[in-house]
Amino acid sequence: MTSEPIMHDLTVDYYASLADGRLSVQQCGDCDHRIMYPRYRCTECFSSNLGWVDDTGEGTLHSFTIQRIGAPTEFGADGPYAVGIVKLDSGPQMLGRLWPGEDGTWDHYACDGRVVFRPADADEIAEHPAAWFATVSS
Amino acid sequence: MTATLEHALPFPEAGSAADAAFIGIGELPSGRFADRTFMGALVEVSARAIIDAGLRPRDIDTILLIPCLHGGRDQADLIFSRLVEELGLNGRAKSSMMIHSGGSTSDSATRVAAGLIASGQAHNVLIAQADRWGSAPVTDMVDMLSGFGIPREWEVPAGVTFNAVGGLITRRYMHASGSTPEEMASICVALRDWARLNPNAMFKDKELTVERVLASKMVADPVHAMECPMLADGAVALVMTSATQARRSKDAWVRIAGSGGTVSHYSLGQEADLAVMNWPRAGVEAYEQAGWGPEEVDVAQVYDSYAAVVAQGLEGLGLAPFGEAARQFAAGRFSPGGELPTNTNGGLLSAGHTGVGGGTALLAEGVRQLLGRAEGARQVDGAARAVIGGTGGTYMDSQVMLLERVTR
Ligand SMILES: [Zn+2]
Repeated sequence: MTSEPIMHDLTVDYYASLADGRLSVQQCGDCDHRIMYPRYRCTECFSSNLGWVDDTGEGTLHSFTIQRIGAPTEFGADGPYAVGIVKLDSGPQMLGRLWPGEDGTWDHYACDGRVVFRPADADEIAEHPAAWFATVSS
Repeated sequence: MTATLEHALPFPEAGSAADAAFIGIGELPSGRFADRTFMGALVEVSARAIIDAGLRPRDIDTILLIPCLHGGRDQADLIFSRLVEELGLNGRAKSSMMIHSGGSTSDSATRVAAGLIASGQAHNVLIAQADRWGSAPVTDMVDMLSGFGIPREWEVPAGVTFNAVGGLITRRYMHASGSTPEEMASICVALRDWARLNPNAMFKDKELTVERVLASKMVADPVHAMECPMLADGAVALVMTSATQARRSKDAWVRIAGSGGTVSHYSLGQEADLAVMNWPRAGVEAYEQAGWGPEEVDVAQVYDSYAAVVAQGLEGLGLAPFGEAARQFAAGRFSPGGELPTNTNGGLLSAGHTGVGGGTALLAEGVRQLLGRAEGARQVDGAARAVIGGTGGTYMDSQVMLLERVTR
């Protein structure tokens, strides 16, 4: 089962970038402010002249958790999975998924640790359009 | 001139006609009551609060409804004035309306009531809440909670759930404060100790230990199953009026000395600091208005759907040093017999999470303490000043009401 598809002018571009292995963040054409999640107007100068820019996806992990019991039924998760809040070096912050390590755990993550965007494949993005992050060394 | 916040407006003086007063409360036990109907519970607590206030139903001119979360039909009944009709107020009530800001609704409703009373647009206001959250199908409620307050385009696809929200906050709080799992679990135990003194609490008969909390399954690291709130049925109502009316019918009542608040996010992913939220700013505003500070607080009732939520609330409101609330819980400071009795009804974690009603129950408990009417050992001797802290959504706001006891 897939999440309810919600496609509109903001999600179409963002989801397409994720499926293409890129992390696009919104940028204001008037004041250069970077915005995540994407908005209808710039939250800094209120301009509607908004576009997209590819982000390096580097940042620090503000917090994270491993969802073990009680995932939403429509999400269709079999095992545990991790989500985290990432403060991107470019300014905005966002919530995404975290890759497990080779041992299948998330023990190598820590609050304020360095993480980087590491995309999921297009099939996974079609199912769950989320940005995935990994620790810098893994 | 003393320094004031630039947006601070003159606040009604104690005892003036514009000063709002709590004069009645009504509550039913929280828990699972499959045979208790929603409307029956709502009418019962409303009747109890009105009688407690020394009023007749026909004296109520305005009803402020706290939403229910268990079902859309009952919610629609509330919005479309069913309670007016059930109380026989049709043709008499001036208005009946729903106020909704999730878990902080009771703070919002109190502000609306106070404003209506101060401006002469309402005389006697009934604030009423009921929910059947404990009797509703658990899967439906979990799915609902995972879809509300979490951006459907940006975060639902990542699989965020409500317990994941609790996990994210708790992880950051523990990182920032250096609190241990034992210290976090001790918060749940302290609240359970209070619940065991409250005849209306869901878990009034079940003892809890740190060992049992930590032995329960991990739900969303670092939050264990017994650190998650249990959904419950519940109902609570309050009556507010002007100090002028309160003086006519009561020897003692409760006034709002100050209030403050900050809305900090919609999406938890946008919150700047999950360990702090926006409690400090909200507290400064409220204390400034009240003219008294955290050191003068006798009892605190701060939203506690997860242990970290009440810990950061107490810290941000100046009731514990930053990073120390969990350790002070472990040392007994907020427990029965402790220096600062906190969440004396057992809080959401042990009295029961009654949906939007969890915050309303904390507010009612604060009023009850100041009226000196908590049962037995739960009553805090000489309680004259209370802090109420509320938050809604994914902890989207930090709302503070400072209450004080007034005698005729
Ligand atoms: Zn701009």
